[in-house]
Amino acid sequence: MWIYVKLAFRNMLRNKRRSFIAGTAIGIGLASLIFVDAVMIGMDRNMIESATSTFLGDGQIQRKGFRRTLQSDLTVQELPWIVENLQKEDIVKHFTNRAMSYATISSPANFSSIELIGVDPDTEKYVSEIDEAVSEGDYFQGNNARDIVIGTKLAEILEVGLGSRVVVTVAQAGTGVLSQELFRISGIFKFGITEMDRGMVFVRLHKAQEMLGIGDDVHSVTLVLSDPSFGLDGDLFLWEKYSRFDNEAIGWTVILPQVEAAFAMSRFSAYLVGLILFGIVALGIINTLFMSLYERMFEFGVLRAVGTRPFGIAQMIVYEAGALAVLSIVLGCILGFLVTYIMAHVGFDFTGIEYVGVTFRRLLYPVIRIRQFIEYPLWVFAITTLIGLYPARYAAKLLPSNAMRRTL
Amino acid sequence: MKDEVILTKEVTKVYSDNGVPVHALRGIDLSIRRGEFTALVGPSGSGKTTFLNIISGLDSVSGGEVWLNGKLLSGMTGKELSDFRRDSIGFIFQAYNLIPVLTVEENVDYIMLLQGVPKGQRRRRVSEILETIGLGGFQDRFPTQLSGGQQQRVAVARAMVARPAIILADEPTANLDSKTSGALLDMMRELNHKTGMTFVFSTHDEDVMQRARRLITLKDGRVASDHTTD
Repeated sequence: MWIYVKLAFRNMLRNKRRSFIAGTAIGIGLASLIFVDAVMIGMDRNMIESATSTFLGDGQIQRKGFRRTLQSDLTVQELPWIVENLQKEDIVKHFTNRAMSYATISSPANFSSIELIGVDPDTEKYVSEIDEAVSEGDYFQGNNARDIVIGTKLAEILEVGLGSRVVVTVAQAGTGVLSQELFRISGIFKFGITEMDRGMVFVRLHKAQEMLGIGDDVHSVTLVLSDPSFGLDGDLFLWEKYSRFDNEAIGWTVILPQVEAAFAMSRFSAYLVGLILFGIVALGIINTLFMSLYERMFEFGVLRAVGTRPFGIAQMIVYEAGALAVLSIVLGCILGFLVTYIMAHVGFDFTGIEYVGVTFRRLLYPVIRIRQFIEYPLWVFAITTLIGLYPARYAAKLLPSNAMRRTL
Repeated sequence: MKDEVILTKEVTKVYSDNGVPVHALRGIDLSIRRGEFTALVGPSGSGKTTFLNIISGLDSVSGGEVWLNGKLLSGMTGKELSDFRRDSIGFIFQAYNLIPVLTVEENVDYIMLLQGVPKGQRRRRVSEILETIGLGGFQDRFPTQLSGGQQQRVAVARAMVARPAIILADEPTANLDSKTSGALLDMMRELNHKTGMTFVFSTHDEDVMQRARRLITLKDGRVASDHTTD
């Protein structure tokens, strides 16, 4: 009934300071939910970008079994068909071919086991960030087949620098015959990821193919999709279409399952934070409503005396909770938007921090979504009014004569 | 029997005060007829307010029967009692007890709104009764913007506007000066005369006693005397 709505709003405004404080407290809870959600989206995005754009790509096509063994004779089958079709796919933005193998690298001072990766510099630059990570020298300038790019940590281990000579040894595909080549260090990169900086070594694709004895074959076709979120979709048509000829096409979440697990953990954490916040908010609402109720006990007695039904009293209390929710939502949305908007432009600096095998390489920017200003406020409204049922039931069950005897 | 709007039979009320039974009413037999202007008098603790609460259904009896307007109150559900009070009883309280967040017009209008009276009719009746009690231009004011006497007059208007059969008033002049309370009583008596509504007051006020047509004195929860004055 409209009169109860009117009474609810006017009663809320009756003690403006208390309503404002209670509304602000609930609003801060809502703003925190909006902000945490925005940070979670930003973190997911940052992790995806850090995980995929560094080297992994959004997906890869490999021979079945290669991912687990890195066995050099397990090359991609029907490569010309794959290349021809990938060029026609709208959702494939870029792709590059790689040859990969376990190897050893030695200098006059030391030696180390590594992962040798043969790349096509012209296409690789669109897929990974090796070129951007080169801190000394250059990334495959000119046509020298003996150029090699190594990480800073490996350079330290080998005690080498730009222009130093190193020897790479690999076992050839099929025969297992050892193949050695002398390279000159043309570039040193620094990703900030220990495993990459000390364990990955890049040479030109054709040189790696030659050393491994695999002809024009490759071990991986690495893809960049038009939308990074496609990589999260395990049912994307692309995976099924290219999982043929004994090849497997997989998204990056299959290659790095721990990152997806981390997303699930982040979401769970967000729910937990939300639950705790709502718990605090709930206690605040109950406290506010009961304070208001006890202050007006006589008034409820009078309302009951003049003929207001118990349900009418309950309605009024629930509407008061609703009115408080509306005030809180307005305050919370404004606060949530302002804080998130500012941080979405300033960002958080987590660069260099490693989490589940992924190192944050960019600033973390919270992401604002309209959903945050619809879904969370609706939850706050629903929960606030639901919580209002408890004091409402209490008020409805009051005996008018008792209510008129009891005042604070 | 036909003219009796309030009939009580052997009504008792026992409270528990920290486990100690307190006998507030000890077998009250009373009959109040339509149109009476009755005052309940007696010292503090004699059971006046308890009796008003019992006959209005705000409190339940420990024993006996209460018939109001031909209906037995015991056995009614909370909802039925609410509806019965809304339609049959008007209340005037000692401390005015208007709803502070509603204007004068909204306070007076409230009961008719609960009754589902059409808007136009409500407006007309509110306007009429505010004119009758001399608060014609005060409809948009809030209770805090009125004096005590004005607030009590609004309370009278609220009690009467829905045209109930009975008006129950608990010490209606207790917070008013003698001049204001005299004027209020005259107004209520005039309304009683015009409308034929039954008025029952609890009071300590000599003015009220003098204006009442029937004086019922309660003492220790019993009817000590019952006089009709004119």
